[in-house]
Amino acid sequence: MKKVIYIIVAILIIIQFIPANLPEISSDNPNDLLTNNPDISEDIAQILRASCYDCHSNETYYPWYSYFAPISFLVSRDTKVGREELNFSDWESYKKTEKAGALDGISDLIAEGEMPMKIYTIIHRDDALSESEIEIMVNWADEFAESLFE
Amino acid sequence: MKNLILVFAISAFSFSILSFTGSENIPIAPKSGGENTFVIPTDVQNIIDNSCYGCHNSESSSTKGKMKLNFDKLADLKVSKQVGKLMKISKVVKKGNMPPEKFLKKYPENALSQEETDKLTSWADGLTKELSGE
Repeated sequence: MKKVIYIIVAILIIIQFIPANLPEISSDNPNDLLTNNPDISEDIAQILRASCYDCHSNETYYPWYSYFAPISFLVSRDTKVGREELNFSDWESYKKTEKAGALDGISDLIAEGEMPMKIYTIIHRDDALSESEIEIMVNWADEFAESLFE
Repeated sequence: MKNLILVFAISAFSFSILSFTGSENIPIAPKSGGENTFVIPTDVQNIIDNSCYGCHNSESSSTKGKMKLNFDKLADLKVSKQVGKLMKISKVVKKGNMPPEKFLKKYPENALSQEETDKLTSWADGLTKELSGE
């Protein structure tokens, strides 16, 4: 039994030396969604920042435990994939069609409860969306998309 | 605008003819005559019927499938949503994420060939351009 614990501890120590390559944080994002769209209400901006921006922007907040393997591996992967799929820091560089695609995805994935991801809200409990927040976000995404085509 | 009216007229006309013939080959998607009705070429329509429509229709038992994309309602959507759906179709098909593995296990003959993938995505990409004016 003791042996097993030693082995686990040894593995945990060794994997700390494997670089997790957490995606870089940048607070200077001239193409950011929120800085360029002051019409977005404070309520929505707050939800976006709290529940989406950690993975879908360059302004990721890494809590202390996200620097420790194997959590760092998960955080690194999810942030990387999240930014590739949709990066609000690059919003203004997207074409109209890409914006429409992203907003339709936001609307569907939030409505279906697929976003924010379970693994995120288990830890960030306060950032899970309530029924009314889901409705607010879905309506916002749909209306914002419509406004691009007016 | 003129184009849209023309497209609408042609599709309404062909649909009514097809209804008269009572054939089984009535184009399945999108059948509702929304404001932004567009003609889906027959070859693309066949691909959709074979590999997509089974889950992405109003009567589908896949709640998620029909919520995210319902070909019966595609024509009724706002243009912003249509573009969103078409972008997604192109993306997931190119990535090979659709049709899903579960479906393909059951119906391997309904997998998309490379040619079908190309046809479907170039239709979606072309219509995206047309609808968005980009």
